[in-house]
Amino acid sequence: MGLKFDSLRCTACMACEMACGYNRDDAFSMIVSSIVTYRNREKKNYFGLMLKESENLVLARPEKLEIQRIGVVDENVEADPAAKPILLRQACDLCEGTEGGPLCIRLCPQDVISLAD
Amino acid sequence: MEYLSSDNIAIIDLSSSEVKSEELSEDLVRDRIGGIGITTQLYERFKDEDPIVLGTGMLTGTSVPGSSLGVITAKSPLTGNVHHAPFCLFSAMEMKYAGFDYIVIKGAAENPVYLWLHDGIADINDASDLWGKSPWELIDIHVGLRRILSEELIQLLTIGRAGEEGSDLAQILVNCWPSGDRWGFGKLMGHKKLKALAVRGMGIFEVADPKGFIEKCAEVLSEIKKGAFLEKRGCIEFPAALGQEDIRDWIAPLVHRHSSCFNCPYPTNTFVKYNEDPKILEETDVEEPGYLITDVYGLLGFKDLGLSAENACRMLEACARDGIEPVAASQLLRKTGKTDLDSLKNALASLTGPVESIATSKFSSWIPPKPIFGDFGLPADGSKDAEWWERRQAVAHIFGIHPIFALMAPELTEDVLIDLFNMGTDLDITQETLDEVVADICQ
Repeated sequence: MGLKFDSLRCTACMACEMACGYNRDDAFSMIVSSIVTYRNREKKNYFGLMLKESENLVLARPEKLEIQRIGVVDENVEADPAAKPILLRQACDLCEGTEGGPLCIRLCPQDVISLAD
Repeated sequence: MEYLSSDNIAIIDLSSSEVKSEELSEDLVRDRIGGIGITTQLYERFKDEDPIVLGTGMLTGTSVPGSSLGVITAKSPLTGNVHHAPFCLFSAMEMKYAGFDYIVIKGAAENPVYLWLHDGIADINDASDLWGKSPWELIDIHVGLRRILSEELIQLLTIGRAGEEGSDLAQILVNCWPSGDRWGFGKLMGHKKLKALAVRGMGIFEVADPKGFIEKCAEVLSEIKKGAFLEKRGCIEFPAALGQEDIRDWIAPLVHRHSSCFNCPYPTNTFVKYNEDPKILEETDVEEPGYLITDVYGLLGFKDLGLSAENACRMLEACARDGIEPVAASQLLRKTGKTDLDSLKNALASLTGPVESIATSKFSSWIPPKPIFGDFGLPADGSKDAEWWERRQAVAHIFGIHPIFALMAPELTEDVLIDLFNMGTDLDITQETLDEVVADICQ
């Protein structure tokens, strides 16, 4: 079980990032989120989502979904500097124990995120 | 203020380079709620020192749908009156997470400076090397402040050449895109020798009733998602929805993707590409492929000059590079009789004003004047639109709700906003409190 993304529906609103931090801290704090909106290529309008799972880093890019194994370096793939901070964070636990399921799914206004088997 | 707040008002004196910090008192919030309720009061307190006051709402940066609004309250050099310019995208959210609920900027620096706001600290930094740079250079990740400060997610409120030169057309931009400043606040920043505010927030703010607050937000969002705008996207939808000219087919060949301001269910921003194929989704080496339309009236202004969609967007870009308010620019350029792109671009440099059609309302004409998509139960003849709009804007600017999204979401009633405020803060404001603050602001 994990999260899946319809990244072309994403509008980079950060609701998922805010929801994830809230679920961890019962407060508004985004530095602990397991999901991050990458939005630093603003002039290119290039945005998507990154999710840290226990073993993988999921990159929901607009052109494709990419799953990178954490700790495995692929010399053919240029490292994404935006990914570095998220690697220090806790992995997504699908909001274990939270009534209603993952909060990022509930608070995403565009239904970008859903549960996958 | 313990909840939904950084508990911090920064008082920055550019003349003396002094920065003071005040707590945001519970009594002040109880009386004035927040947003323009408090920026107005701070403006009055410091009005002899020609302040620019920035503020967020208590709901800004939270899970409340549309909670992306920050406001700039100042006296317009164009009207001589106090107005409230909205700023959105991610800048207001970052300001709050950076540890600032309100910022008062008074006095003027002797030499160019910028403010670096982070971790509850306000640094006044030398901007001699930045003066003369365009907002597009300033936000650039390779050469701008994001590079200089080693932080890729910095958000800027900045001015361009127009503000530096004291033009009436000068606008404060968010990063390199137009804000809701229609009153020459960019000229004020230039007068203060203040090139930019750079903000980045990694803070935390607590909620009095965390479970109740988030459940209420999820419930409201669920209702909003049943709304009429669900499958619509971008500001390019607004003219047709408002009964004006339908520009969707005209602009469609350039449209890349639409994006939202922080936690805004409707993506109000439309990115167009004209330096590469808009259908390309991959990141390419083209650093500046196009332009983010945040102000549909600016686009309409250049369309009305008879320009193609591409050239109208190129004019928007030219305005943004100079920090010029695009609606005012298009009105003045019409008088020149010029119609080709190069002549119009060249004419921008010599535009000085005076600006026509200045909004006299407290709130920005960047915001459409009536409901978009949503049904607020107003008479079809439009007779109540203006009165309703002013009240709706006052409420949105008090709580921190995106002012355009507020025109789409009847589900965000005043009752709902008051409930969320009370659940989040453990205060107990009432409709009477809100009515008093609105009456004071709109008088």
